[in-house]
Amino acid sequence: MQPEKFFYDNKIVRNFGIATVLWGIIGMLVGLIVAIQLYHPAMNMGNQYTTYGRIRPLHTNAVIFAFVGNAIFMGIYYSLQRLMKARMFSDLLSKIHFWGWQLIILSAVITLPMGFTTSHEYAELEWPIDILITIVWVVFGINMFGTIIKRRERHIYVAVWFYIATFVTIAVLHIVNSIEIPVTFFKSYMVFAGVQDALVQWWYGHNAVAFFLTTPYLGMMYYFLPKMANRPIYSYKLSILHFWALIFIYIWAGPHHLLYTTLPGWAQSLGVVFSIMLIAPSWGGMINGLLTLRGAWDKVRDDVTLKFMVVGLTAYGLATFEGPMLSLKQVNAIGHFTDWIIAHVHVGALGWNGFLTFAILYWLIPRIYKTELYSKKMASFHFWIGTLGILFYAIPMYWAGFTEGLMWKQFTPEGMLKYPNFLETTLRVIPMYVMRSIGGAMYLTGVIVMAYNLYKTAVQGKLVANEAAEALPLEKLSHSESTERWHRRLERKPVLFMMAALVVILIGTFIELMPTLTISSNIPTIASVKPYTPLELQGRDLYIREGCSNCHSQTIRPFRSETERYGEYSKAGEFVYDHPFLWGSKRTGPDLQREGGKYGNSWQFNHLMDPRLMSPGSIMPEYGWLIHQKLDTTTTAAKIRAMQKLGVPYPAGYDKIANQDLDKQAKGITDNLAKDHIKVKNNREIVAIIAYLQRLGTDIKANKTANN
Amino acid sequence: MFKQFTEHIDGNQVYLIFSLFIFLVFFIVVIFLLLRLRKQHVDYMSDIPLNDCTDPNSNILKS
Repeated sequence: MQPEKFFYDNKIVRNFGIATVLWGIIGMLVGLIVAIQLYHPAMNMGNQYTTYGRIRPLHTNAVIFAFVGNAIFMGIYYSLQRLMKARMFSDLLSKIHFWGWQLIILSAVITLPMGFTTSHEYAELEWPIDILITIVWVVFGINMFGTIIKRRERHIYVAVWFYIATFVTIAVLHIVNSIEIPVTFFKSYMVFAGVQDALVQWWYGHNAVAFFLTTPYLGMMYYFLPKMANRPIYSYKLSILHFWALIFIYIWAGPHHLLYTTLPGWAQSLGVVFSIMLIAPSWGGMINGLLTLRGAWDKVRDDVTLKFMVVGLTAYGLATFEGPMLSLKQVNAIGHFTDWIIAHVHVGALGWNGFLTFAILYWLIPRIYKTELYSKKMASFHFWIGTLGILFYAIPMYWAGFTEGLMWKQFTPEGMLKYPNFLETTLRVIPMYVMRSIGGAMYLTGVIVMAYNLYKTAVQGKLVANEAAEALPLEKLSHSESTERWHRRLERKPVLFMMAALVVILIGTFIELMPTLTISSNIPTIASVKPYTPLELQGRDLYIREGCSNCHSQTIRPFRSETERYGEYSKAGEFVYDHPFLWGSKRTGPDLQREGGKYGNSWQFNHLMDPRLMSPGSIMPEYGWLIHQKLDTTTTAAKIRAMQKLGVPYPAGYDKIANQDLDKQAKGITDNLAKDHIKVKNNREIVAIIAYLQRLGTDIKANKTANN
Repeated sequence: MFKQFTEHIDGNQVYLIFSLFIFLVFFIVVIFLLLRLRKQHVDYMSDIPLNDCTDPNSNILKS
């Protein structure tokens, strides 16, 4: 049989590489801006498009989906072709995938600052973009499976299993977490409400970390690390065990984001137990990676790509040890809602995803340009400033996290909260926020130096757009091979493999999600909890638009330190009309679930206009535009109808008269404000948001009064 | 430490035990498959990334 000549497509790899670096710089720059906003509110720049609540999601989306996303595709398009000994299935699909993905990112860059958001973390993009993501993901899938099917290597290497698991699981996660009813072109309501919505979101959120930030990178590690070290992976058998155990266990761990909330206790326990079990496969992967370098540690001293790999893998090991520890209820009680979590995710993002990406870029760009790296010194500088940047970022954030967690829980000997004013705890961590931004700036400096170094490398070489290769075509299997052992057979059947991976991730999904989504007794209803009034509903949507839940939680855990500070702990039945849930995951400001009635309307008005008027030293942005902007009431009817479809019990035909009630309630608020000499028109956005804030948590208070 | 979990799952232990049981079965099946793999095949699979079939003698045809 004659070998076949063919060409690897390096141009698509190069394009994804450029996108990785460009979006990386932009995403990290936005990250730096939001970091500075946390101690210098003027950096919100006094306009709504650059406030923290709107651009913090831009930062997370840009680094996850633009920087890491493009890096994943760069790594997959390079390694898949070589592991399959075939060019990508279709150049056209590669192009559609590339430009489609950039279009999605561009849509995010435009819509998130405009306030178009679902409020689901890491899934903020609205429904038209969700559809675009689905289409582009399917294009990627066809291109990947097409390449696997036309391969010249019978057996599928472990890296590609990780790519297959990534493809299928992200598809499932994205679809389930995006089930929403469109209200307008850029507004939708999540189908699930309250506890159910929270469970779906964190099943998604945690597994986005698992199957977007972890599995594709493990796949890339299994390909690029042996290439860089020029030796095979330490244990192929361990990689099989690691793969199946990791994808099986990861999918269950989501509820550890919801400990002590109103999620049913058994689901929380399940999340914790599987989170702890997760240490084993995670460390299996890390150990397999590090031991690949056995006998080659001398290379680490000279080879910058290996340096990045070693620190990246170590960061992965730290983050995957810390994650299970944070899921222990006792630890979570202190760490949750604090900057500890920010430190944790950044050890993973900056160390694991960032450093692996840099290692791959430094290794891959000179190869596809058939040249040497322009400057090893610059790369070495990048390594050191990046490593120091991570330390300068993470250590202050850990410090801040412990400080917050402990101060929030501190009582005096008399049994009173020692720091009853939340702001006091915020002010204490401001120096840590300053140091964190210095760490971030160091890390970003390294990335900019890398961009220059890679640019000069590209300029001094010439892109091998089509790299020649040759391999024997696949022969028909002989009888003896067709009766080979089971896993070996699975390794050459990609579709069967995908189905096996799908079944494995669906087991955990069904057992964990279905009881909460289908058994109504899991969410006891409360008679006094009523749907939001039209004005409150509009106000809630403004709260979502401004991204308030980026800093304010709406769920009170059953600790005395929280009930003393915020009021009665949360009940599942309180959230049954919350499409979407707005529990948040971070308390940069205080919890707002019992905000209703705590302060007068005029306090809320003045606080939104200038938070520092009411709380000197506050780091909250100013929301002056809410006073001037007219509330869009043309959407009220559509919103009421959408809510009715979702089962919210507004009376039939209420959509037609809802705006009358809205006007009446607005007039009540403005009349009340007028008593405090605040003149504002009824139809301004601030009136709606005040109505919503004053409603928060009052259903339970009303119930208490009735019972008394 | 684990006492609090078993105490707080309100008669729903079945979920926990069933889930762990499924994983145990799954884990044993994977271990069993691993033990049956031949060394020759394992070595072959490990070497795949190191052999990417690029032809060092061929010229760059297009760029």
